[in-house]
Amino acid sequence: MSRPILLIEDNAANLELMTYLLRAFRHETISAASGQEGIRLAQQERPRAILCDIQMPGMDGFAVVRALKADPVTKPIPVVAVTALAMVGDRDRIVAAGFDGYVSKPIVPETFVSEVERFLAAERR
Amino acid sequence: METALGKLPEVAAFLDSAPDAMIVANRDGFIVLANAQAEKLFGYSRERLLGEKVEMLLPERYRGNHPQHRERFAADPRVRPMGANLDLFGRRADGTEFPVEISLSPLHVADQVLVSSAIRDITERKRFQQALQDKNAELARAHEAKDRFLATMSHELRTPLNAILGFTGTLLMKLPGPLNTDQEKQLRTVQSSAKHLLALINDLLDLAKIESGKVQLRLEPTEYCSVLEEVAGSLRPLAESKGLQLRLSLPRTETIVRTDRRALSQIILNMVNNAIKFTEHGSVNLVLLSRQMDGREMVELSVQDTGVGIRTEDQTKLFAAFTQVDAGASRTREGTGLGLYLSHKLADLLGGTVRVQSEFGKGSTFTLLLPAEGA
Repeated sequence: MSRPILLIEDNAANLELMTYLLRAFRHETISAASGQEGIRLAQQERPRAILCDIQMPGMDGFAVVRALKADPVTKPIPVVAVTALAMVGDRDRIVAAGFDGYVSKPIVPETFVSEVERFLAAERR
Repeated sequence: METALGKLPEVAAFLDSAPDAMIVANRDGFIVLANAQAEKLFGYSRERLLGEKVEMLLPERYRGNHPQHRERFAADPRVRPMGANLDLFGRRADGTEFPVEISLSPLHVADQVLVSSAIRDITERKRFQQALQDKNAELARAHEAKDRFLATMSHELRTPLNAILGFTGTLLMKLPGPLNTDQEKQLRTVQSSAKHLLALINDLLDLAKIESGKVQLRLEPTEYCSVLEEVAGSLRPLAESKGLQLRLSLPRTETIVRTDRRALSQIILNMVNNAIKFTEHGSVNLVLLSRQMDGREMVELSVQDTGVGIRTEDQTKLFAAFTQVDAGASRTREGTGLGLYLSHKLADLLGGTVRVQSEFGKGSTFTLLLPAEGA
């Protein structure tokens, strides 16, 4: 059984969407509704990749990626920001903060899974 | 000495006509002459001032150091303005203080070097400066609040659209199961409406950023043809789906412009997208040339279509926000009505212009003029 993909997202509808799409393409997923919970799950389950929202109450995505990249256990896991922060300059800011990738919302459902899979391939190398 | 000066009526009259308070003191700091403005400013009569030490006109905390300042002036007597960058204060007879600006100049009378000082009350100016500073701080805060508001709006509007577009997409991908024709048609309508809403949000936010001067342009030497090829590549499928030819006519040599690549490609994307949208038969041609205009080297991109064209009277309305000229076509064309307005604003930021030439029923040519690199 391959390791799952971890989704960290506080918006229930958006979490459901990503879960549905990834499972439709036979990826296993686990999810967390907050940053703290996400970090805990990441350490415990060592997911293949982490998709993380940025704006969340409490611990935001920037703090999450900092914590994940500071921990040797979770450091190698690719972390992709999936965020509605999509104004000019946001992508650069997010990649500079330590994320391995950036997908803006609204996601494009037809291509979303293949975008995520690119990071899974990168992880195997 | 005092009498020698005081008895010169022309000197007194001259000093009384000066706009500033004038005080003349001797080397030891005793006041030998004061004009009418000095009486008014400090609230002492001339009789009270004459023969007193100038220190009486200073707040007490500055009095101790004053003899030293006087010595320094006497050692190098020359005209010197004071107070431009210093906080200097005067003290009135009633004990109140006020900010001043002082200009000192040596006055040679007989064998003596007197010190003449022109003193100006700058209470008003300070108040204006303060008011200006407060206003600026307030404006900066308002600007910041507006930026935060825009960023929040952008985020908050996109979040529900993610679920709408996302689940419409999964249904249309038939992931949950097959759809009948009506369901598919209706879902396509939901999808295109949501996409339209997204385009509106994007354009509005872009516009808000431009209008608040928040667009950061990175001007760098840019190869124009590669931008054109990129845009043409992304829009060719759209043109071909309508049976239109999208043709590029590029110069043989490289064309370098100093510009922001993203802004340039946004303008071109808009122009070409419009051309395709308003053309039912024929072709859309992109022609790039260098030309001299008013002695300046310019790069001109023409987007020529064989579409519906625009009536002369409508051409002036084109670049306004939210207008889509009724082309007489029976169906309305999708679009936010902000595209040309945005292009025009962006071109302006890049030091260029967008122009239109059109003949109704025959087609339009939109031209983007930009200064060439180094022009």
